[in-house]
Amino acid sequence: MAQSILQIKSRLLREYYKDFSKYAKGKLPEKKVAWVTAFVPVEILEALDISYYYPESYAAVIAASGAEQPLLEESEARCLSCDCCSYSCCIEGCLEQEKGPRGVPPKPDVLIATNNQCNTLPTWWNILAERYQVPLIVLDYPGETADRQLAYEYVTKQHRELIAELEKLSGNRLDPSVLAELIANSERSVAEWKQVAACLPEYEIKPTILFDDISFLITSRCKTETAELYRLMNEEIRQMPAAGKDKIPVFWLGYPLWYHPDRFLSELLEDYRIVGSNYVTWWSLNYSGQDVFEKLFQAYNFTFLNLAQATRNERLAQLIGESKAVCAVTLHNKSCKCDFVSAKNIAIPQAEIEIDMIDRTFVDMEKARRQLEILKDAICIG
Amino acid sequence: MKLLALSGLIPEQICDIVRFTGYPGERSVAHYCGYAEDYISMVKQDDTVDGAVFPKSCDSCRIMGSYLEDCGKFLYQLNIPARQDELAVDFLAAELEQYQAAVERRFGAVGSIAERVEAVNARNREIRGVYENLANISYREYLEAVHDMLTKPLFEQTVKKDLPEKKASGKRVYLVGSFLSGTELAGVIEDCGMTVVGDNLPESGRLAAMPEADPGGELYREIAACVLRGRLSPTQDNFRQILSADMEEIERKQVNGVIFVTQKYCEPYDYLFSVYQKMLGQKGIAVTKLTLSDSADVRKAGLTLEAFADVI
Repeated sequence: MAQSILQIKSRLLREYYKDFSKYAKGKLPEKKVAWVTAFVPVEILEALDISYYYPESYAAVIAASGAEQPLLEESEARCLSCDCCSYSCCIEGCLEQEKGPRGVPPKPDVLIATNNQCNTLPTWWNILAERYQVPLIVLDYPGETADRQLAYEYVTKQHRELIAELEKLSGNRLDPSVLAELIANSERSVAEWKQVAACLPEYEIKPTILFDDISFLITSRCKTETAELYRLMNEEIRQMPAAGKDKIPVFWLGYPLWYHPDRFLSELLEDYRIVGSNYVTWWSLNYSGQDVFEKLFQAYNFTFLNLAQATRNERLAQLIGESKAVCAVTLHNKSCKCDFVSAKNIAIPQAEIEIDMIDRTFVDMEKARRQLEILKDAICIG
Repeated sequence: MKLLALSGLIPEQICDIVRFTGYPGERSVAHYCGYAEDYISMVKQDDTVDGAVFPKSCDSCRIMGSYLEDCGKFLYQLNIPARQDELAVDFLAAELEQYQAAVERRFGAVGSIAERVEAVNARNREIRGVYENLANISYREYLEAVHDMLTKPLFEQTVKKDLPEKKASGKRVYLVGSFLSGTELAGVIEDCGMTVVGDNLPESGRLAAMPEADPGGELYREIAACVLRGRLSPTQDNFRQILSADMEEIERKQVNGVIFVTQKYCEPYDYLFSVYQKMLGQKGIAVTKLTLSDSADVRKAGLTLEAFADVI
């Protein structure tokens, strides 16, 4: 069974990376290429047989391979402030040097960015548009605070327009039944992933596995194999021993630390056990609706970071309650203001750590250690 | 009613707003734009402020409501589209109608929008007249007068035209940035022997270039088009339009150098700078970047500007 999980992962990764650097020397790809941000409705691109790549995810891979520092320096030398999102700094360095652990993604024919996660991404993508001189399509998702009907009409018109533009680019015609099937694949992937994520408080597993393997939900959510991968993972995890009760249950509120071998501050958390994480729920998109356009609207307009603060409060309270965490490590992430404020109203004690998910030099480990000791004291006294 | 508006993206044609110009208070949120933080502080602490209206256009504004939610004042966040096509104009027009309704529910009728449209058109025409003569007047006094004007209700605003004349130097500079709270910076630039001949500041160059809305047309669409079709902010995700408009003006006015002013932790301007300086480099035009830590920080700028004046 473990072999099957490995086989599926290998196949998905091979498929995703097969063209990295292959076309650097001028050979044209067989398919049109889009670069996308993490919450683009990629079901549309898949249905039109367009290849798509995620620079943000690749920045995480670069940091995980330990190669981020020279790229961050390169980016700063090219006048991009190091205060900017470090995903963007890392990728700018990678593109400038044309160097990365798996090469560089094929050059884009089109760039597609959304603001349903943050406003920084579409702004960053303007730089990419200048670099490659290709069209930039920004999909504008007003989120939960806008009037629902108004937002639905606006977003749906944008989705229809996106389809028309990508049909023109790819020369392919969108088959609505194929799009419906791809959305169904995404729904199945999300459903199976939720089962996997639910194992974290119950079984003796490290969050590392979830932080790493959610990448398939990001880059391959509408592919058939993804749901099967998560179904097998769920089966495997549920045969593991139940979680021990000897450590302090803590909620990890923020991004994984991509540069860290465990993706969290394991060396400072020996007395703690991570039982929950908001990050691993972000791509659990809700594709409910009567037709493909309503499903896409529902999924991509109401992403977690596009919800009103009150709804985020409710969601987080529910997640924390289900995890049975008694405290939280909240990352005050230099690269993501939006995520940090999600933690504003949580009711359990928290250690708020200044950190970055890509730049390993940003954190003050001694300060973090002291903060976690204080947190432990607060819980024990409480 | 005193509604404090954070940004030039909040249209003045719907109801009276007071433009936020700066606040010298304490700040507490790390890695957060100092300008946004000052705004939050002022909304919370200034008893004369009845409410806050701000756009959802950058990450600092996006989450502003979360910091203000307990202040008990009127709060409204406008979804400023991240695109400028007809779809976006329609969407923003509908948003503006809802914004007006929310203001009226809280504060009563806002009055004639058509009259406000005419007043904004007329005022901007006057600003344009002064702006076109920037090279021959004191830029600092011009900016101070504009800031003072924007803190008044629309129908009480008058554009100061009798500004002291100033002989233009051969060092012609163009100023890029967001709202310049610290007008002393303009004085420092002039003290260093440079003449500001143009800018793309929201309170100056962008107001001067704002298209006129037709008071007899579909008002909300007309106003939305003003927000989306004028000189843009980098938060509106269309660098090409900004670069094209700015470079045209820079070349037309034979600018020798560009002073690019950003707030610390203001990513949109940081991203814009990375392409802006490249483009200026290709044209052989010098550029310097000043990063201010908050809405009143001009202390460190003097030395940098002196050196820059020597370069150009």
